[in-house]
Amino acid sequence: MAAEYPALLKPTSRGRRLKADLVVLLAVVATVVALIPLASVFLYIVGQGAGLLRPEFFLEDPPGDLSAAGGGIRNAIAGTLEMTALATLMAVPLGILIAIFDTEVGGRAATGTRFLIDVLAALPSIVVGIFVYSLVVVAQGHFSGFAGSVALAVIMLPLIVVSTEEMLRLIPKPITEGARALGLRRWRTYLSVFIPTALSGIFTGLLLAVSRAVGETAPLLFTALGNNFFTAELSEPMQGMPLLIYRNALNSAYPAARDRAMGAALVLILIVLAFNLLGRWLVARRKPGRGSGR
Amino acid sequence: MNEEVAMAIETPALIAPPSEAHVRQAEDVPAASVTLRLRNVNAYYGPRRVIRDVNLDIVQNAITAIIGPSGSGKSTLLRCMDRMHEVVPHARATGLIEYRGIDLYDRRIDPAAVRRSIGMVFQQPNPFPTMSIFDNVAAPARFNGLVHGRGAAADLVERCLRQAALWEEVKDKLRQSGTSLSGGQQQRLCIARALALAPDVLLMDEPCSALDPVATLQIEQLMVDLRADYTIVIVTHNMQQASRVSDRTAFLTMGEDGAGYLVEEGPTGRIFTQPREQLTEDYISGRFG
Amino acid sequence: MAIRIDSAGASGSESNPLGRRRPLNGDVIFKLVAGAAAALTVTLIGLMLLDSVKAAWPAFERFGPDFVTGSRWSPSFTIYGALPFIYGTLLTSAIALLLAVPIALLVALLVTEFLPPRIAQPVAVAVDLLAAVPSVVWGLWGLLVLVPFMRPIERGIAAGPGQFISFLGPPTPGPSYLVAAVIVALMIVPIVAAVSREVFAATPRLQREAVLALGGTRWDVIRRVVLPIGRTGVMAAVLLGLGRAIGETIAVTMVIGNAPRIGPSIFSPGFTLASVIANEFNEATEPLHAEALVGLGVVLLAMAVIVNGAGVAVRRRFERSAERGR
Repeated sequence: MAAEYPALLKPTSRGRRLKADLVVLLAVVATVVALIPLASVFLYIVGQGAGLLRPEFFLEDPPGDLSAAGGGIRNAIAGTLEMTALATLMAVPLGILIAIFDTEVGGRAATGTRFLIDVLAALPSIVVGIFVYSLVVVAQGHFSGFAGSVALAVIMLPLIVVSTEEMLRLIPKPITEGARALGLRRWRTYLSVFIPTALSGIFTGLLLAVSRAVGETAPLLFTALGNNFFTAELSEPMQGMPLLIYRNALNSAYPAARDRAMGAALVLILIVLAFNLLGRWLVARRKPGRGSGR
Repeated sequence: MNEEVAMAIETPALIAPPSEAHVRQAEDVPAASVTLRLRNVNAYYGPRRVIRDVNLDIVQNAITAIIGPSGSGKSTLLRCMDRMHEVVPHARATGLIEYRGIDLYDRRIDPAAVRRSIGMVFQQPNPFPTMSIFDNVAAPARFNGLVHGRGAAADLVERCLRQAALWEEVKDKLRQSGTSLSGGQQQRLCIARALALAPDVLLMDEPCSALDPVATLQIEQLMVDLRADYTIVIVTHNMQQASRVSDRTAFLTMGEDGAGYLVEEGPTGRIFTQPREQLTEDYISGRFG
Repeated sequence: MAIRIDSAGASGSESNPLGRRRPLNGDVIFKLVAGAAAALTVTLIGLMLLDSVKAAWPAFERFGPDFVTGSRWSPSFTIYGALPFIYGTLLTSAIALLLAVPIALLVALLVTEFLPPRIAQPVAVAVDLLAAVPSVVWGLWGLLVLVPFMRPIERGIAAGPGQFISFLGPPTPGPSYLVAAVIVALMIVPIVAAVSREVFAATPRLQREAVLALGGTRWDVIRRVVLPIGRTGVMAAVLLGLGRAIGETIAVTMVIGNAPRIGPSIFSPGFTLASVIANEFNEATEPLHAEALVGLGVVLLAMAVIVNGAGVAVRRRFERSAERGR
């Protein structure tokens, strides 16, 4: 039995071993460095904002003057919900149809469409805001919640298209062949077979798209504009959570504004995380082993 | 089935009654000439056992062939010998694998050190695509600190390529990419590369299965030539190759629990003419696998 | 974010064997509807682009190429030059990349090469969560936590090496190019890390095992196989991160100090293309001001399209070579 490091084996030289260990150490340090801000953001927002989450915070509107204390963020929550819901209604059918187009028709048209969707996905969100401003706000002559919804829909669309396309691509061949063999019309096949099969994937894509849209500020800046009061009218300027946080943060010299921003930020980050983690969990459940480094 | 082997089985074998999965100790092997000693080796992928209780002696300066049907764990067993099995996530091995008295799985042993003494050639030739033929042979030796300087490296490269019977074919194009060679040449290059580390043992995992018959014969001849200086263990699904080339043969098959186990091992001649286990005879005569 | 590995071409249409005009059945309508959706989207995007360029046109016309090269931005004098913002965008993006890429690559290596799978998964998810935090929340944190944190560091550097290198010198009011770059870096680490992870995980097992079987350490495997083979993929990851960095708006505008000029040092306040638009658009009463801002948006759009287009192209090339190598 070996006791000392045997001379029969050729041990790794100290230099090489040190280099290998050093790299691992660097990698660990880098990861910690990357995760410290994440922890810091959480702890800070939770620490500062938790105290504000009283029922009134959700049920009341903010005071007209940002620097005044009290009130809540009801208009922002409602606005975000409404605009995101409308954006979903616009983006999901359109996105699914585009994905179907890409998968069915294929060819140059599909390649071009895919390219355009990729470009859309990479657009800075402020540019999206300008685009929708030029198209909708100028045409309508005023800012509106509707314009904000359109902007959010533009942000969500590429995510829906990509996840739907991926799901359609993953439908097992036996199912596609089986449907074709049954002589089903293409559209029937999609409606009754493909879409239901892909539904869970589309849903997770939607969750991730929503988690992104809910947190976007820039597209709303020149479309929904924001509103200090509550409104459910989509034809009027509408408040959204990110907008409220932004405007209050810019006035954070006033403690009331600062607190309001903190509370809203906490609510926002909880919503975003809930959607994001739920979406991830569903993806992981569907395809075991996916999503990790190995 | 190969006619030669069929003719070699003259008598119904002296087959002992069906025995347990444990193999007897090979009585004809003097202990001093054993390079690798395997005792109670089990291998797992996660919770699934793929090799059960293998006891095997690998004899020095001999070619040992591991044969058996697919799925019997032959490659896994081979990979346990140079600690390559554990490279796959969730894979592990238990038991004793002793190399000249050293427990290879001792916690203090660095797997990389093991692999410098126990080399491996893979089923699919894998020369480094970004390196020349020269560098393919010289670089690993250089990185391991086994050779210093241009002159020594050139000597090493020539020596190893000669040993691998490749020197004449490539001596004028040492600077060309490693992947510009034919399949058989690439495999010989990989052998030369492994030899450059001056290993004691050479493990070969189905080295000829991706090659044409001419290249296969070249590699087989090479193995026989190398036997004088190295201990060779080869996994093969080709029984004729095993009977042609090896001195000792070990037969593995899959048990009912899905794990491979060692049915029988011994000198090649005896295994192929007078196997002691019914299963062995069945496999050799082509009744399964 | 998944690497799209293109399977063999899509099913295509049911061809009519008799070659006659296709009857208007459900299938054709279906394809038309899908096609209409795609066409509608393309048209809308095109319209938006057109309208924006049209809106910005007066500014382009008025200043010509000076719009891009002019370094003075002064609404009260109706002089609009985009250079300070282009400078700000490039500077913050460059610093952000410098900070983010090494960290992201090391994180990716940790997850794919060093950690056992059970720990690697949660760590990868944690790093990905950096991207889930909304920009405005990063900005809020940046304003109230990061800026005060970095102020003494900035002051220290400005007082030390900053005496000799004006690029690292005073003033150090707090909000600055550097702080913006740090926040942007935090936001692009997850993108670069995620793509790099997939790149490294795609390293062919055969090559890895070749190095290991020759007595290589894990670092040898990384240095000789994983990184060289993954070089193209990493480049794609960096380009995608850069594309994101260019467009980052809200967090930047909250910590960059909002000064429409080219600051002398990295500790100076400044602006990026994206952040100045966010900051000034709603207050732009003068039509030329608004038009100039839209013009900045067009410039930003051009930059983003070029960088992201390059990133996608490089990524496709990597995916294709990965397929071949399998």
